[in-house]
Amino acid sequence: MSNEPIEDEAKQDPREAVDRSCRGPVLFLGFSAVAWLLVYSLFAMLAGVKVHAPGMMADSAWLAYGRIQPASQLALQFGFLVQLGLAVSAWILCHRGKTVLVDGGYLVFGGMLWNTGVMFGFVGILIGNASGLEGLQMPGKVLPLLFFGFVLVGLSLVQTNNRRTDEEMSPAQWFLFAATLWLPWVLAGSYLLIHFFNAKGVVANVVDWWFIRNFASIYLTFVGLGTLFHFLPALSGCRLVGRGYAQFAFWVMLLFGSIGGVSPGAPVPAWLPALSTVTAVFYFFGVVAACVCIKQTISGASVEDNADGTAYDLMRLAALIFISISVLNVFFAFPGPGATAQFTTYGPAMDLLFNLGFVGLTLIAALYHIFPRLAGMDFCPKMTGVQTMAIILGVFGMIPPVAFGGLMSGDATLGFSYYFASLGDLLLLVGSAILFLNFLGAILFSIKNCDCLAGICCKGEKKETNA
Amino acid sequence: MTIGLSFLLGLLAGSVSCFMVGLWWPIALAVGLFAWLAFGLLDVKMDSTFSLLCGMLLVFCVSLSGMVFRASDQLNGLQYADTQGEDGTEFSYPVPPLGDARYGEAVYKANGCAACHTQQVTHEGVTLDVKAMAGNKNHAAVQDAISRFYKDIGREDSSGAVLGLPVGEWDRVVTDANAGDALKARNFLKAAGASVDVQVRFRGEDLMQHEYLNPEGRGWGRRRSVASDYLFAEPPMLGSVRIGPDLANIGARTTREALMSLLLNPASARAGARMPQHRFLFKKAGKDEQGQHIIHDGEQTYKPTRDAEVLVAYLMSLKSANYPLAEAPINKPFTSSLPNPAPAEAAASGAGK
Repeated sequence: MSNEPIEDEAKQDPREAVDRSCRGPVLFLGFSAVAWLLVYSLFAMLAGVKVHAPGMMADSAWLAYGRIQPASQLALQFGFLVQLGLAVSAWILCHRGKTVLVDGGYLVFGGMLWNTGVMFGFVGILIGNASGLEGLQMPGKVLPLLFFGFVLVGLSLVQTNNRRTDEEMSPAQWFLFAATLWLPWVLAGSYLLIHFFNAKGVVANVVDWWFIRNFASIYLTFVGLGTLFHFLPALSGCRLVGRGYAQFAFWVMLLFGSIGGVSPGAPVPAWLPALSTVTAVFYFFGVVAACVCIKQTISGASVEDNADGTAYDLMRLAALIFISISVLNVFFAFPGPGATAQFTTYGPAMDLLFNLGFVGLTLIAALYHIFPRLAGMDFCPKMTGVQTMAIILGVFGMIPPVAFGGLMSGDATLGFSYYFASLGDLLLLVGSAILFLNFLGAILFSIKNCDCLAGICCKGEKKETNA
Repeated sequence: MTIGLSFLLGLLAGSVSCFMVGLWWPIALAVGLFAWLAFGLLDVKMDSTFSLLCGMLLVFCVSLSGMVFRASDQLNGLQYADTQGEDGTEFSYPVPPLGDARYGEAVYKANGCAACHTQQVTHEGVTLDVKAMAGNKNHAAVQDAISRFYKDIGREDSSGAVLGLPVGEWDRVVTDANAGDALKARNFLKAAGASVDVQVRFRGEDLMQHEYLNPEGRGWGRRRSVASDYLFAEPPMLGSVRIGPDLANIGARTTREALMSLLLNPASARAGARMPQHRFLFKKAGKDEQGQHIIHDGEQTYKPTRDAEVLVAYLMSLKSANYPLAEAPINKPFTSSLPNPAPAEAAASGAGK
């Protein structure tokens, strides 16, 4: 418990000072991310139910499948993944650079702007103002808000990274630094091209595919890999093996992850799908290098502190999911297998597995490690066990049936796999609800115990216990 | 210097010279390898945020110009093209949405129809068949041309015309050929003085079903969708998942009434349909209301709202995969004397399905 006077402790352990600088901003971003995860799982379940019961909720326009499905995607990607990614990035950049978080206020203010943006986007889709594009479903007017929110957070992160104590940057820092800069670039680029310069016809779709590709293959992948590159060595107490491989992976994935994403047979000039196949294959070389790096780091290593056991195992699972998805993705990038999977529910299921199974699990595992250091108290261990199990079972319950069902039944049909998927949705909802309550409860409890509020509620009591 | 950066720079040089400068790929590969070796002798530090930033900016520019700007340069030049309807009338294509259809697109967008329906017809490939006819005089020369053609393309065939072309009758010389082989066959046969007829077949699940031309078709369009189909779409809602059928050509294969009852209650139109009902697009009608616009669902009667009217008008205006374009022609059957199903009938039977 952090009931001791904090100033003294900071002198003893610089890590504590670093954590103290991160506390408010990172917990704020983390909490809003967890809240968005709950929103996502609720709406994903509603969308799944609509498929079983076509007549349900048919009288309200805002509950149409075509509205709640994209809205839930927005909550997952922009609400949950990006925010938790930023929170975890901030913490890692501080700890890797052995420096306090610079201008943490930007993080809070930027986070508020970002949340407002996601909220407007979410409500905008539900009331029928969607843009009609797949990756940028939210109304165009929301994008500047999101951009400025992210830039404010990014300013703080980049300054923190520049203020690092060692000149050397580790692979985790490259990846997180690149991700932090990359998302505002592509967000601004897509906004300008689509909404400001009014891209006509399929050019808007090309820009949209470009955004989707960059968002998944660069932003999310880099955040996930950066987190793994920090935590896998840190939790097992060894060094990251294979800096050269990481460097190779960084540049190759950056170059080839930023181009492509056009499906075979799309109504665009034929070089675009062909180029996408080429970049998908080259991107895979980068992924292999990153995986070699991870494999060499974790082979033979074991977790140092048993308290981090769950986080370490979750990250290894996430790394395994990442490798599996990458292999499948490069296989289905070729025109032959790609045509089989095209338009089936396989594609969205794999995207979801990537979002939740790789990036989501990695970030949640990181949260398990970070949270007790920031809040001064741990999640309730029983609830943590249940929520972790529920989230993992939910991910594996909702995704593989839809993916394989899609591959087997083809397009324009829905197999019975959707019934299993709803079970997964339900488990995920339970898991994210427990995570939310766990987070909220721990925060409330630690605020109660915190010195900052001690004057108001129970200062006298605490002094007695300290004495 | 690690293999990482030097390899990247090599790849960068190679891909820029291949995709942007447009060099022949082996030369681009050589340029890339050379650059890899050359840069491998340098040492670039990954510890400076400045060099990271420069590298990232370079990659960002390559990505934006190599994919987005290049595509928009090519696509911004799209213009109206001439096409013809099924009855042979010629007109300029694409046709901008008129009347209610203009507002229907917004309803389609707002309700996220693209979450389950695509608007892009694809095809798997194109193959060509060639038939020939020779008279008495040139029969030997044509027969010789056929065997030389087969030797030239290195394909074995022991059927039909290869064994012996009947005099004065059409017979297939080659089936399932690609464009290059078909052109070669035509040139060989023409040079030998034969009459030549070529049949173009587009194969694909999405296209019209046809006994010979495309046995596995589902009838979602007469041709594949191309970029010019979406000149007036804001934005084109291509979709990526087909939980329901493709709608690029829905206006050509259904009626207004069928769409209305499908929107109100899909299960009434097709048993076991998983499409959600869209009752919010309809109002309950009074018991004494009569008229064409009244739709019955069980005991309850409904009338469409303005949104439903414009949405259906928009859907009925979607006929893009119906008209041949230069870059997306439709099937061209044999025109010669051998019995073949007439093209108009074939298209009509496909549309019916």
